[in-house]
Amino acid sequence: MDSFSTGSSGTGPPQFSTDEFMDQMKVQLAQAYAQEFLETVREKCFEKCITKPGSSLSGSESSCVPRCVDRYIEATGIVGRALLTSRSNS
Amino acid sequence: MDSSALNSPDLQRFLNQEKEKAMVNEMVAKLTSVCWDKCITSTPGNKFSSSESACLSNCAQRFMDMTMIIMKRVQSMQ
Repeated sequence: MDSFSTGSSGTGPPQFSTDEFMDQMKVQLAQAYAQEFLETVREKCFEKCITKPGSSLSGSESSCVPRCVDRYIEATGIVGRALLTSRSNS
Repeated sequence: MDSSALNSPDLQRFLNQEKEKAMVNEMVAKLTSVCWDKCITSTPGNKFSSSESACLSNCAQRFMDMTMIIMKRVQSMQ
């Protein structure tokens, strides 16, 4: 908790500001979202690209993965925008 | 943060906003996962075909339509 202290006199527990707390929370939330996204993409692209696991990744498997990641990011955008459209219409 | 800061309206507003954002994020993530499975049946290419992108968009909207139907149905049972 030292990183949160704002130089208090040391007579009580460390004090940190609401702003610092909110900033720290935003960072942690962003990290959590990124982690979850990474795990989902990994699962989806393994399923689509690595259909028959061999003793090493084939050339087509290796080139499939980055394409898959791009497509999944694009799919997230399409779904997100479709959701916005339907929410504003309901 | 001392206990009085927990009552700050700024913090409350921030927490409510982040809660809402988390719910939206979860919905988008789940929908993308479901619609990806339904719509992207072949190996991913360099871009989506027009039928694939239409499917993804339709899938999301039909899912929301279905959610409304389910909610109305359940409400009518109570």
